[in-house]
Amino acid sequence: MQTMIVWMLLAAAGVAAQPVQVEIFENLPAGKELDTAGATPAGRYTEPAYAFVHMPTKFSPAAIPLDRSTPFTLRATFERTLPRGEYNFRLRARGAAAFEVDGSRVASTKPQKPNTTGDDPVPPEVIRDGTPLRPLAYPHQDSVARLSLEAGVHRFTLVAIIGGKGLYPTPGELCVSFGNPGEIERLLGPDGSPPLTDAAWETYVASSEERHRAGDIERRRAAGEEMSASWRKRHESARDYLRSQPAPEIPRVSASTPVHNDIDRFIGARLEEATVAPTELTSDLEYLRRVTLDATGQIPTPAEIRTFLGDHPRQRRTLALKRLLDSPGWADHWVSYWQDVLAENPGILKPDLNNTGPFRWWLLQSFQDNIPLDRFVTELIAMEGSIVRGGPAGFSQATLNDAPMAAKADIVSQAFLGQKMSCARCHDAPFHPFKQKDLFGLAAMLNGKPITLPATSTVPSIAGGRKPAVTVALKAGEAIPPEWPFKALLDHDESGSLPGTGIPTRREVAAFIISPRNERFPRVIVNRVWKRYMGLGIVEPADDWTRGKASNPELLNYLAREFVLSGYDMKHLAGLILSSHAYQRRPVAKIVEQSGAKGRLFAGPARRNMTAEQIVDSLHLAAGKTFDCESLNLNPAGDRSASQFLEMGKPARSWQMTALSNERDRPALALPIAQSVADMLTAYGWRQSRQNPATTRDDAASPMQTLMLANGVLGTRIVRLSDDSAFTALALSGRALRDLIEETSIRILSRPPTAEETRAFTGLLEPHYGKRQVEGAEAVRNVRKSDSRVSWSNHLSAEATLIRMEEERRLRMGDQPTKRLTAEFRERYEDVLWAMVNSPEFVMMP
Amino acid sequence: MNWTRRQLLKTAGGGLAALPGSDALRAAKTEMPKGKADACIFLWLGGGAAHIDSFDPKVRGDGKRQAGSYYDSIATAIPGVRLSEHLKRTAPLLDRCALIRSLSHDISGEHAAAANLVHTGRVPSGTIQYPSIGSVVSHQLGAKSEEVPAYVVMGYPNITRDPGFLGAKYGYVYLTQVETGPNGLVRAPDVDNARQDRRETLLAQLREDFSRRNPGDETIEGQAAISRQGFKMAGPRFLNVFDLKREQASLRETYGGEFGQRCLLARRLVQSGVRFVEVSFNLNFLNGSGWDTHNEGQLKQHLLIQDLDQALAALIQDLERNMMLDRTLVVVATEFGRPPEFDSGGGRGHQSVAFSGMLAGGGLKTAQAIGVTDDLGKKVVDRLVTIPDFHATIHCALGIDPSKNLYAGDRPVPITDHGKPVTELFS
Repeated sequence: MQTMIVWMLLAAAGVAAQPVQVEIFENLPAGKELDTAGATPAGRYTEPAYAFVHMPTKFSPAAIPLDRSTPFTLRATFERTLPRGEYNFRLRARGAAAFEVDGSRVASTKPQKPNTTGDDPVPPEVIRDGTPLRPLAYPHQDSVARLSLEAGVHRFTLVAIIGGKGLYPTPGELCVSFGNPGEIERLLGPDGSPPLTDAAWETYVASSEERHRAGDIERRRAAGEEMSASWRKRHESARDYLRSQPAPEIPRVSASTPVHNDIDRFIGARLEEATVAPTELTSDLEYLRRVTLDATGQIPTPAEIRTFLGDHPRQRRTLALKRLLDSPGWADHWVSYWQDVLAENPGILKPDLNNTGPFRWWLLQSFQDNIPLDRFVTELIAMEGSIVRGGPAGFSQATLNDAPMAAKADIVSQAFLGQKMSCARCHDAPFHPFKQKDLFGLAAMLNGKPITLPATSTVPSIAGGRKPAVTVALKAGEAIPPEWPFKALLDHDESGSLPGTGIPTRREVAAFIISPRNERFPRVIVNRVWKRYMGLGIVEPADDWTRGKASNPELLNYLAREFVLSGYDMKHLAGLILSSHAYQRRPVAKIVEQSGAKGRLFAGPARRNMTAEQIVDSLHLAAGKTFDCESLNLNPAGDRSASQFLEMGKPARSWQMTALSNERDRPALALPIAQSVADMLTAYGWRQSRQNPATTRDDAASPMQTLMLANGVLGTRIVRLSDDSAFTALALSGRALRDLIEETSIRILSRPPTAEETRAFTGLLEPHYGKRQVEGAEAVRNVRKSDSRVSWSNHLSAEATLIRMEEERRLRMGDQPTKRLTAEFRERYEDVLWAMVNSPEFVMMP
Repeated sequence: MNWTRRQLLKTAGGGLAALPGSDALRAAKTEMPKGKADACIFLWLGGGAAHIDSFDPKVRGDGKRQAGSYYDSIATAIPGVRLSEHLKRTAPLLDRCALIRSLSHDISGEHAAAANLVHTGRVPSGTIQYPSIGSVVSHQLGAKSEEVPAYVVMGYPNITRDPGFLGAKYGYVYLTQVETGPNGLVRAPDVDNARQDRRETLLAQLREDFSRRNPGDETIEGQAAISRQGFKMAGPRFLNVFDLKREQASLRETYGGEFGQRCLLARRLVQSGVRFVEVSFNLNFLNGSGWDTHNEGQLKQHLLIQDLDQALAALIQDLERNMMLDRTLVVVATEFGRPPEFDSGGGRGHQSVAFSGMLAGGGLKTAQAIGVTDDLGKKVVDRLVTIPDFHATIHCALGIDPSKNLYAGDRPVPITDHGKPVTELFS
């Protein structure tokens, strides 16, 4: 009570809420990292209070994310007025830190020791001794000082070392809290800072993450403005060049051929020639579901559907498309595509074959910022920036691979030139015009110097054995100099005109690829985007053009030119395709579209299923549930280095998942909740490990798909009416049964129910609908807890094993059903949800 | 003419003549023995089981300076062949087994890489992802019945067990604990048969309605058929297989702890028509380290070996009683062995150049110990068996030609990388 009065008095006194000033110091002398006197900070920012779980990303002048030195030092200073009194100050840190009040050190924590075995004990379970104070997370330290302070302004300074040799470079739950003895402590900061309780902490950390994410976007866009201007200038000259070339002729089509834009004239001309009729236009709602999935990777929300239906019928498709291209989901959905194509493959447990850094974060920012695709390619190939925090340098890695740049050369040439050179890794490709020398010449360019051919990249000839079926031209140990292999596409180096800096031969590779005079690059990109939206490419295979032929070269040429004229703008290209009549037509069975002389005429898009990521993300969206899974991190203690254990955070969308890497098969290394998400993704063709690039996923139907949706842990979670389910809220919202059924169908299938469905669902639900609500019953919070005491450093103990096995068992029980609905009604409504989610319509693209 | 490479390679004679090195493709194939086994139980000792403390005992060491086995050895049903004293139940049954004491490869540093090699039979190239042996068997033989999956794993999903280029269809159903059953097959605890019927009735109505609105779309019917197959798998016939209480309590006891129960389940799965069951022995908490016996892990290693012994002996006898041993190949495999020397903590490091595996039943000519290591089990001195050879032996026992080509897209990839079966095991 007394404290409360004090707080109120302070508020009344009108003390200005000045934020905590934070400075970051890098590369301080070893052993003196706490001594920041006289050092120049590498960065400055502010925090509302003394908690430092999330930090701003460091960006290069070209807006590429960078790693900080490890260790680095954080210094946080703050001044505020306090009334005279006794205070407890609590410093909480994982590693070495010191806290000063008015220039005197009052609290400090010890350096963290790197771990070398897995034999540490699991610490005892946290005892909540009656206080609401957030318990100390393993293996943090608390250092508490009791001080008597005079009334007046006091100065506070925290200095903390973050990361270091053998440690993870994150701050953990670094914070300082304070309060009068006997009162609940608050984070040190201005009045109104949150108390150090679980709920307030979690809210604060979540808002801090959001704040830093938004801040990152703002800072990197500002930082990259100069670079963006150079690229805009370059695009001007690309336009000039194209305008000097003859423009493609747009074919004429008969009045009966439906046309939204020029794409339809190119397609229509071919269809007329082949006397194939285009399929009908999809219905408005079918279009909305399809285009929302294609643009954002998720089904539309009921609100989006209402907005769409509220728009004028003649404009609603155009307006929806415009909104979707601007939505944040645009970037999410593109990340999963490039993860496959560029073989992004971070490992959370020690390097495995072809692990890369998590350059997913750079992929995300590139699409959030709609970086022109030629710049994207240039940045990727420069392979600069952060390895640990998701910069393109992560692409340079291929762990346990003795010729990583050969792997990268193959990836880059498939991705951007449609030149698949995989076979040339070990021998001259027998069915492609590539020699092993070509691949290694490109690899050497990426390497910045000659590459020595490893013995494993050859075909061994076994004495007396059969002769290899392929020509082996290079010898192990031979040094192959950098040389551009695709002279037929472009034969002169233009890297001088490229914005930015970097390793010269890498810049040459980028310049060869993205030159406006290299017609292949924009064609490969537009074909990839076309295939993603239309189900099949104009050229197939889209990553191997030496084996394919364009089914409509004029269309390909037209799209490529449009793409370059737009400044390599992916949104412009997508908008063009997604607004065409061809895209908006009813699907054609893939087998029909694929085969024969009439193949790939695009009478309609090829029938396809949603991707694994679209399914999982849409299921969560429909149910209004989050992944709520463990952090993808087997080293929460932070006592191992980032080169051994990557911390990948809590995924919110499917592309943020990783392989769970339990090759050791140890229960204590399991992440059961994340595994339940991975199981569903895997059944639908997601690859937990992306050792090699892939443009087309394995889309064969398998019984496991049905089973995961019908019975799997995640499938069960989606239809379970727990108190965090959007469907529970719907059922309790007091609407008429007819409305409930309609709203449910809209949430899951993006359309009102058919008469048949309404009849079936009403018959089942009606007898129990009136008395569905249990009076006085309260909502129960779903607990999906992962015990943070288990880390690599103690995973070999029996206790760690038992903890995780118990978590697995608990997970299998599923979410707690709501008590606010009667079992009779709840179970029947769950069965309705189950039937909708499991119907073929749910997973098929309309 | 738009031939795929596969079509070209399949065409005999003239079509091939134009291709580089095609004479090699036509070269006469080695005749492969063909065994009678129709299912495989693959017991995985992840972590690297010490061969000299189990299947290839040597002179005793002292746990400190003096290198050697950690235990005494005992005689077995094969004259002159001895096992560790902690394999006392397996010893009298060893005539049903063939020891392979001369396995050898050169990946000793990293567990995951070595485990990958022993599961796929190949050093990864990075250009394609090779399938696990379970996926290959599943691809080649399929399940014996439509109602069961071909490949089941008791352990954690990871890339070493994956189908690789064969595609998700040849993946596995997995479970991590016998008690909980496989994710996806076991219904949520609150869905009884009546509820499931209600659900499937609703679903059938939705499906029909959807087909009516999309006439002539064969994709829908195709998916419905596969989905029906899935529901069949999740039906009582297959799920009952997981109910070990259907076995006599005395038999369940014979098998021992969690690993033993998994072995019992493996027998039931094979009986139901599953082709390949991998059973992971991953109970690392028994000794603190599992088979990866660095430092103190060595002290209680005997508990692991005894657990293995009890389960293995029970499995062999149970298969025999059920007249299944001749048709079921039991494999004991691990990623590498361990050196005879002790580390500073009294445990052992990794050793991949010489270690042991075991095969039992499967209609093989058992009662043999293949291969010999030196006095301390550090090197193979006779009859080296490579991992491709080991795989070739398993495939041949199952009637699969290990030199047959699989296809990664159009690229031919032989099932094993020049693996030669251990012919002594085939009559």
